[in-house]
Amino acid sequence: MWLKDQTMQRKNKNIKSQLFKVGFFFLIVGILVIISTPLTKLKGEVFEEMRLAIFQLNINKENTTISDINTENLEMTTENTEVAEENDKKANYSYIGELSIPKIKLRRGFVSKESRYNNIEYNITIAQEADYPDVPMGNFILMAHSGNAYISFFDKLYKLQIGDEASVSYNANTYNYRLTNIYNQAKTGTVAIYRNPNVKTLTLITCTHNDDYNQTIYIFEEI
Amino acid sequence: MDLSILEQLMTFITLPFQSFLTIEILLIFIILLIFLLYNEKRKSKKVKISFTALIIFFFSLLVFYFSEDIITVLSEIIKTLMRCFYFPNIIFYIITALISLILLIYTSLKNNLTKLNKIITYIFTIIHLYLFTNFISLAIINNISLTDTANIYQYDDMFVIVLFSQIIFILLIIYKVIYHFCYIKYRKLKNIK
Repeated sequence: MWLKDQTMQRKNKNIKSQLFKVGFFFLIVGILVIISTPLTKLKGEVFEEMRLAIFQLNINKENTTISDINTENLEMTTENTEVAEENDKKANYSYIGELSIPKIKLRRGFVSKESRYNNIEYNITIAQEADYPDVPMGNFILMAHSGNAYISFFDKLYKLQIGDEASVSYNANTYNYRLTNIYNQAKTGTVAIYRNPNVKTLTLITCTHNDDYNQTIYIFEEI
Repeated sequence: MDLSILEQLMTFITLPFQSFLTIEILLIFIILLIFLLYNEKRKSKKVKISFTALIIFFFSLLVFYFSEDIITVLSEIIKTLMRCFYFPNIIFYIITALISLILLIYTSLKNNLTKLNKIITYIFTIIHLYLFTNFISLAIINNISLTDTANIYQYDDMFVIVLFSQIIFILLIIYKVIYHFCYIKYRKLKNIK
């Protein structure tokens, strides 16, 4: 009888210990699953910082080159830069510019329209219909996801208000803009942009915050 | 920043009396300290438990009121660790190489370490130092300035070398920590001094 009790107790202890191990395993897996998304997002931010630092470094190098030579050679330098950019595009993706919105602490680079990484799944994307920021009276159109995913680069755009500022660095120049209009449109696959054609503008397009059926358009005008 | 030592001291002394809130904070901490010191004499278990509960309550309140800031701070800490792992600056990388070197020399000189421990340490440290040497030689060959971190990581081969050597270094540290704890536990079990 006593022996039976002992065996039963040992069995119970074993089951408890095994249950504890299984529970602990699931707890660890659960924690890993929960933290994996924010960790991936943080990792993306760290890599983004480095890409921007490399982009800034290359801009500084280009500036040094331009100040060292006379203006006759400027065209030649531009061609060389284009060739270098083309090579870069083949190897990996290097940024040609940077969008910065200090209010929401957004700093993100963008690649050229021709790059295969000019895709909403990789980067802030330049619309094919967009003009580059150096085009007079042009409209520079950028699109990105919003939400909670790692690629939701425009997840905090909804916090912007009329009058907030943004800047775009492109070709060693910085273009400053002020938000002048925000409006929504239904998601139909196309978007109508209402802007002043006599002013250089920056247009940001993303999904409307907490709304699956609309998209929001932010129109900035150059200061 | 430009204060003299005397001014720094005066600022430090007058700091707790600048507002009602700072005086309150000072009083709370003094009471807590007296409470703990008094309990050292009485050794009451109830006081210990209630003190722990109070601390947890206090920090829960902080978490509740400043959750967004705490998340920001935690994110920054994790990002700093990630930066150290993926894109360490040259000083950090040299420090890891020095730690590896010291571990290698210590392991080779120490006689009372197990053979397996020595072999594992040798493998990890040698690979790590080999990658570090490779990194330096690549920088010299390609004339890469190591002072600017971004300058290093625009080259893919440099990034890969650093990444792999960081993985090896972390494995080495994890192994050493686990070994150390197992060793202490083993000695405790065997009652070896």
